[in-house]
Amino acid sequence: MGQFIQLVVDGLSNGSIYAVLALAIVLVNQATGLINFAQGGMAVFSAYITWLLTEHGLSLILAILLSVLASFVLGALVERLVMRRFERGDPDTAVVVTIGLLTLITGICGWLWTYNNQQFRSLFSLTTVSIFGAAVSIRSIGTFAVIAVIMLFLQALFLGTKFGLALRAVAINPKSAALSGLPVGRLLMAGWGLAAALGAVAGALVAPQLTLTPGMMDTALVYALAAVILGGQSSPVGVVVAAWLIGVVENLAAVYVHFIGYDLKVAVPFILTFVVLVVRPQGLFGRKVVARV
Amino acid sequence: MKLKDYQRLTGAIALIAAVSTMTVAGCGRGRDGASHGGASTGITDSTITLGITTPLSGATAGPGTCTVAGIKAYFGAANAAGGVKFGDGKTRKVEIKSLDDAYDPQKAKANYDQLKGSVFAMTAGLGTPTNRAYRTAAISDKVPQVLVMTGDPIFNDTSQSPYQLSLVPAYPNEGEAFGKLLASSGTAHKVAVLSQNDDYGQGYVEGLKKGIEGASNIKIVKELTYEATDTSVDAQITELAATGADVMFNAMSITPLAIASLQKAQQLNWKPSWFLPSNTSSPAAILKPGNASAYPGVYSVSFAKAPASPAFANDPDVKKFLSDLKQYGSYNETPAFPHCMWSYMAGAILEQAFTKMTEPTRDNFMKALRGISDFKAPLMLDGTSVNTSVDKQPAVSAVVVQKYNGTGYATVENFG
Amino acid sequence: MFRSPGLFSRAWVRRAITAIAVIAVLAVPLGFDEYTNQNLARIGVFAVAVLGLNVVMGYTGQVSLGQIFFVGVGAYVTAYGATHGWNIGVVLVASILIPGVIGLLVALAAARLGGLAIAMLTLALPIVGVPLAKRLSDYTGGSQGLSSAFSSAPEWSGLYNDQWQLYVVLVVGGAVFLLTRNLVRGKYGRAFAIVKSNEAVAASMGISPYRYKVLAFTVASLIGGVSGFLYMAVVQFTSPETLSLGHSVTLLASMVIGGSASIVGSLLGGAYYVLAPQLANHVDPNTTELLQGALLLLVLFLLPGGLVSLPRVIARKLRRNRPTGGADRQQSSSGAPARGRKAVEEAPTMSGIPTGRPE
Repeated sequence: MGQFIQLVVDGLSNGSIYAVLALAIVLVNQATGLINFAQGGMAVFSAYITWLLTEHGLSLILAILLSVLASFVLGALVERLVMRRFERGDPDTAVVVTIGLLTLITGICGWLWTYNNQQFRSLFSLTTVSIFGAAVSIRSIGTFAVIAVIMLFLQALFLGTKFGLALRAVAINPKSAALSGLPVGRLLMAGWGLAAALGAVAGALVAPQLTLTPGMMDTALVYALAAVILGGQSSPVGVVVAAWLIGVVENLAAVYVHFIGYDLKVAVPFILTFVVLVVRPQGLFGRKVVARV
Repeated sequence: MKLKDYQRLTGAIALIAAVSTMTVAGCGRGRDGASHGGASTGITDSTITLGITTPLSGATAGPGTCTVAGIKAYFGAANAAGGVKFGDGKTRKVEIKSLDDAYDPQKAKANYDQLKGSVFAMTAGLGTPTNRAYRTAAISDKVPQVLVMTGDPIFNDTSQSPYQLSLVPAYPNEGEAFGKLLASSGTAHKVAVLSQNDDYGQGYVEGLKKGIEGASNIKIVKELTYEATDTSVDAQITELAATGADVMFNAMSITPLAIASLQKAQQLNWKPSWFLPSNTSSPAAILKPGNASAYPGVYSVSFAKAPASPAFANDPDVKKFLSDLKQYGSYNETPAFPHCMWSYMAGAILEQAFTKMTEPTRDNFMKALRGISDFKAPLMLDGTSVNTSVDKQPAVSAVVVQKYNGTGYATVENFG
Repeated sequence: MFRSPGLFSRAWVRRAITAIAVIAVLAVPLGFDEYTNQNLARIGVFAVAVLGLNVVMGYTGQVSLGQIFFVGVGAYVTAYGATHGWNIGVVLVASILIPGVIGLLVALAAARLGGLAIAMLTLALPIVGVPLAKRLSDYTGGSQGLSSAFSSAPEWSGLYNDQWQLYVVLVVGGAVFLLTRNLVRGKYGRAFAIVKSNEAVAASMGISPYRYKVLAFTVASLIGGVSGFLYMAVVQFTSPETLSLGHSVTLLASMVIGGSASIVGSLLGGAYYVLAPQLANHVDPNTTELLQGALLLLVLFLLPGGLVSLPRVIARKLRRNRPTGGADRQQSSSGAPARGRKAVEEAPTMSGIPTGRPE
């Protein structure tokens, strides 16, 4: 029983890594209707900025804040200078552009800071507390809490503010949004900027555990995508719950389902997603989208 | 087909043909591997060119970059000192052509195809599948593929691989060395095993089992695996901690996971003696962040001096290595991966072979390379040496077991 | 570009051109050096893989991140068959059918889902495929992979290996390209296009989107299997790394770079897949990722429709420049900015003053 609880707790802490990236993906998806493959790469770049600032003697908190600001600007610029050209065209092309961005950003990180693992200081200590007999690190709890706050913030932003509504209007129908007087271009830049800023937080949260390398987020991105689809694309709460669920179920399946084991546990999020989508095509928390003919 | 398609199709074919032709320098079919005067491809009276295909981007780019930097450092220094004196009396500069394969076997083969027309031998590249991808082609082209960095035993079997020789100890050698140490301790131990799910991890575990064969005091209580792409091994550590084992055999090649394993076990208050393989045992990059001093002992096997270790801070080998690496290898940090040291040694071993080469041919080079015994390359630890004449063994097969002392490593004879 | 429609529309001229083209293509392996032949063969391998992806994604509009999985399965089946002494014809058929059957089963499940969910499920194929290939080590050789030199030139041919392999690619790949071209130009192709543009309309016309999605996906996996066979013939080695997700993503990018929903575009996509890393290596082996990312973005910035749209873009530029020069050009660019940079840039700002209020 003790081991079971520990595995659940470990799973939640893994899920948090996926969750924080998934939130950034949802944010861009909400604003543009696009899945941004470069989100992980942008988060890594932001983490390098944070790391660079701490190497120059800044405190970690200040470095993260500066990196969040810089990332907001960079994200907005990426939208304005790169993505803008493709937003009205073939969506496949836009997705491939984000793939190109991912490759480029990863390459830039490798070029500037090498492919070696860099140690990244953690916001939270690794000392543990005991919860129901399971050892939980302060770092896991801290990450968990930060994610919960961001999640609630985004949920409120999407559902409770005019800005959030405007973002969604742009994503759903940019033409009507423009006609009704919304500054579509600025909203798109704000959406990308916010997602990149969120990525900076994500990077700072996971870099201590994964150590900073250009490809740090590659595996997490796959899980984050699964969480986005499973959680229902549009719901911040949905994707975070989905990410935690994936983390936990994956661990339990690896240990207790002999056929799956540690090598095939990566199949778990996909099986889970498939089963859920067959029953609920809109995902766990997603809204049903009615398409017009 | 419609008219437009013709234009497009011919255009496309012309484009592809043109681009492909551009990638080749001269035309003509230099197929026999021998050019003027009986000398093999890639060697003249004043130069010899070596080719490397290795991961310089992607997840294994960290160690991959080291495989190029080390050998470039060695020959950069040698060239600056005038060049290498070959056995045929000529002095040649050594040139290195390196290409990125991103750990993709298909790209490794393409790189080999590109390089083989201009290099004398392939060397130093990292990776089992990438080296395997062009092994058969290298044999049929009679191109040496030597001192490559893989622990796959097939490269050391002269009947299967006449033009190959790997540099580093086969994975089982390392596991076996630790297993023997454990077995000879005389006290009872329970061993938990966590290994990478590929030939690397399997090789280590196989070696461990061979080392403890017949020793009734050692019992393996649980064996788990992980994937190289995993972000976390928390669940495995949790499961292994529950066994209460007092020895952890951690056959892991991924830096962040090795750190995270050390951290996680401490969080669970599980503090066994710990074994890490040679490529994830860096004191500065792994053991310090993993707070390895919390464990009764962290063991590793090695044949190279660790530059980050204070014990070697004033070692002349290490000092020269670090300055060569900076000056000629364009590598500014103290390396966290041993591959930098390994490929530096590969340079020294190649130089040995070059000095024994009496003809500028690939066959003669292979003969010379296989005739090295008890050579102590720079950076080699006491108790290890290069022996290339033993079939089914890599250039370096001897390793010593070392124990972490809080800052660096010291060689140990006994466990505990 | 030459254009004299009168001449080219005559049947005998077209037949003659076909004959000349075929002869020219068949002469290629004899004329080039070894490395060029090997590169052309590699391009053929991945052109076929991209072609398969185009069937499901370019023509039918279903994003697939799993194409490399079918290439990998095809390569493994080929390697297994060849090392176990199967007849080469049997090997070829098995290397196509086995991925095809797997593709059909996956499609039956995946096509139930819409849009992104399909992308998600196909993403799982390479992700799960890699550890699965390791687990089935009795058949796959585990992480050390399988080598097989079954495609060495036979004695009677008098050819070098690279020439023989290029012929294999040209014949097998050429047949696949021809068959696929007929498929997408015929009634199935029209059905695919309707499913792509609007599933509800398709259903109302009696075209079942589900069935055509399954069909397209299955055809894509069959073609992926062919590509796998050719992969093994050319690379002669396969391991779990063959089917890693990164390659699948690169295939997708190559498809768009070459030109979506285009036969010629598939060929160009294959060329991009093979030559882009080589070009990057040529410039600087230490920054290949950076260079490839920049190249990809550059191509799409200049040619959002892919490389295949290059002649069209040039033709449009020429046509614009032709009439009376400067004044006219200015007028036409402001008069008809239906597509291209101008329109895209203008649209978002035409909304006017940023009140930010959605009322």
